[in-house]
Amino acid sequence: MKRKMLAALMAGTILSSMAAAPAYAEEKTFVYGTTGYGVQMGDEGLNPHNSYSGWSAIRYGVGETLFKYNDDMEIEPWLATEYEYVDEQTVKITLRDGVQFTSGRAMDAKAVKECLDHLIEVHDRAPGDLKIESIEADGMTLTIHTTEPCPSLLNYLGDPYAAIIDMQFGTDGVEGDSAGTSNVAGTGPYIATNVTETQINLVKNENYWGGEVNVDNVVVKTFGDASSLSASLQTGDIQGTYGLSYDSYSLFDGNPEYTINSCATSRCFFGQFNYDSEIVKDQAVRKAISMGIDKEGFCSVLMEGRGIPAVGAFPSSFSYGNEALTTPGYDPEGAKAVLEEAGWTDTDGDGYVDKDGQKLAIRWLTYPGRLEQPKLAEYAQATLKDIGIEVDVNCTENCASYVDSGDYDVYVSSLTTAPTGDPEYFFTTCALESSAKNCSHNSIPEVEDLYTQLHTEFDKDKRSDLAIQMQQALLDENQMFFVSHLNMGIVTKSNVTGMEAHPCDYYEITADLNIE
Amino acid sequence: MNENTIQMEHITIREQKVRKNHMKAKLIFFLTLAVILLLVAVFAKYLCPYDPYAQDLMSAQKPPSAEHLMGTDRYGRDMLSRVIMGSTISIFATLILVAVVAITGTAIGIICGWNGGKVDTILMRISDLFLAFPSLVFALAVAGVLGGGVQNAIIALAVISWPKFARLARGLTLAQKASPYLMAARLAGSSTPKLLAKHILPNIAGPILVTAVLDIGTTMMELAGLSFLGLGVKPPMAEWGSMISDGRVMLQTAPWMVLSPGGAIFVTVMIFNLLGDTVRDYMDPKERNQ
Repeated sequence: MKRKMLAALMAGTILSSMAAAPAYAEEKTFVYGTTGYGVQMGDEGLNPHNSYSGWSAIRYGVGETLFKYNDDMEIEPWLATEYEYVDEQTVKITLRDGVQFTSGRAMDAKAVKECLDHLIEVHDRAPGDLKIESIEADGMTLTIHTTEPCPSLLNYLGDPYAAIIDMQFGTDGVEGDSAGTSNVAGTGPYIATNVTETQINLVKNENYWGGEVNVDNVVVKTFGDASSLSASLQTGDIQGTYGLSYDSYSLFDGNPEYTINSCATSRCFFGQFNYDSEIVKDQAVRKAISMGIDKEGFCSVLMEGRGIPAVGAFPSSFSYGNEALTTPGYDPEGAKAVLEEAGWTDTDGDGYVDKDGQKLAIRWLTYPGRLEQPKLAEYAQATLKDIGIEVDVNCTENCASYVDSGDYDVYVSSLTTAPTGDPEYFFTTCALESSAKNCSHNSIPEVEDLYTQLHTEFDKDKRSDLAIQMQQALLDENQMFFVSHLNMGIVTKSNVTGMEAHPCDYYEITADLNIE
Repeated sequence: MNENTIQMEHITIREQKVRKNHMKAKLIFFLTLAVILLLVAVFAKYLCPYDPYAQDLMSAQKPPSAEHLMGTDRYGRDMLSRVIMGSTISIFATLILVAVVAITGTAIGIICGWNGGKVDTILMRISDLFLAFPSLVFALAVAGVLGGGVQNAIIALAVISWPKFARLARGLTLAQKASPYLMAARLAGSSTPKLLAKHILPNIAGPILVTAVLDIGTTMMELAGLSFLGLGVKPPMAEWGSMISDGRVMLQTAPWMVLSPGGAIFVTVMIFNLLGDTVRDYMDPKERNQ
């Protein structure tokens, strides 16, 4: 009896799945694996007003901003159509007609004002960046008044935190979503149906203002481990990846089943010397270390060609990028000479130079979250040994506490130096006395002076000049050294089109995405 | 007793002799292998064909060839030299750890077994506490608190491994303590330290030695495990666990980076385990006289 029932049940299941199959067969589903989403990255959920979650809203096609960055990282209108500076502290923005939130509400100046007001009320970084005093909404025209001249206002309006969402819909999540991870109603090509800390399910927005959306369903899955990401792509569990480890690229490179799309980003790996430490206060030591790092070798071999040697903080695509600056390249003999001139010689024959009885040993602090950083540390350890500098690598997840205690000579980290296509961000973050991430504990008066000019300068060329002078001053002082810019890659199955790496790595899933 | 039985007994005795000889040969064989391993570890520095720490990006990720028998890693370092160099840390750290754990554990076990009472209760409850933790998880926590480094990894594993030896030594001591010969020795005027050193210790040493040798393999795996998770040696030190961890992502593109140190662990653990088994068989009277 039991067997019969079981057989009947199985037959029923097979029949019902057969009946359901044709309905799915016509739908296109894209499964996307990424190491860039989740609690560790601080971008879980889709609420742009919370930490870095705006990145997820933009990356996965749910939200859009008033302005976006083009391939040269210059801003162009997106949900806005034009703008006009009324005076230095007032800008008038005209919004795009016919845009609708996925909640069904039409996007107008009032809705945008509600969103931006809420943003500067609750967000940690936005109020300081945008410096908004008040916003006026009139039909499709938005007028923003700032507390002081804010030349980079429009750039900051392109930051993912400024994604425009419907505040009437709220930011708490969809009904019946037990995980409670924030969902929002944006204007993008996709609508999130389920949002958790590890996965986002999306369906296409039938009423998208930008035209027909090609793929019906998208699943974004987070991967903690780069090797499982590449394995999943090989088995076909996912059709596209972001954040694949360089070591895995050779598996897909030249294979006609996969497409690799990569692009130089402004993420820069760089080191800061701790001026509180006596040994690196000596400029000769700082200069020798900067000259003793083989950037070319690191980028071409250890990063498997996915890195581009850096001179300054910004990649060559910027007018104030690498080409505008000068710094000595990898020169072990030159570095030895610099040390010798400053009195550092190997008197005890142990292979390391010393001075006044003190061996030249530096503590190199970094963290393993970015795969390149431990490799750079180990490689620098070998090249610096050749010029007589001993490197003690401290590569720890618990990096922040060492940074706080000042227990390091060099701190190597990475930063997206121009997330908004404007140089100011890098300097306010790392190079000034007031900077939160100034791990050098030093400030150069010339840089501080130039910054006050940059802060209020509206002319693009002049801003670029200032950025060049400031970087050059940092390099001449050897306060920092820049090693490499990251080439971000998106690897997909070759039948996936319309998914391209972008210099600011905000735009991943767009209406162009298609499966052929 | 008829002739047949006598003949049978004769055969059994011969068989025993043959088996004993066979066992001895086996023991010598595995001992020799273990000694060779130790010698490699001691003279690693002189056996390396290349400098295990010299980086050369021009010859990075080269597959095994006549020039580099085990290939090179992503920094262009010779894998064979690194595997040989790694044996020093991997093998000696393991031996030190096992020795420390066996000695401390045995000492605590003898104290418990000999004294009994409150001391026994307290120490045994503490050991219960440690036995209740999953070993690697606890070691991870300890190593996490203390930070990386081989020393800390050894401390972490030592903290959780001693109860096994303590329990064993305690049980054996209790058994010996109740035996008549000990009573006689005591009546003859032997002091407690003398009793412990001359009578108890030699009589319980066998099983403890066997356990220790058998433990070498497991301990080596645990140490390599901690290193694999980044809680062992610091770069650029060559150590098998961390070498596997380094090469892990390249398993498909450069498998030799994982297989070389992996093979080294496999062979070493196997030799020590088989040695442990043979020592146990050799020292077990039941096995011997079967």
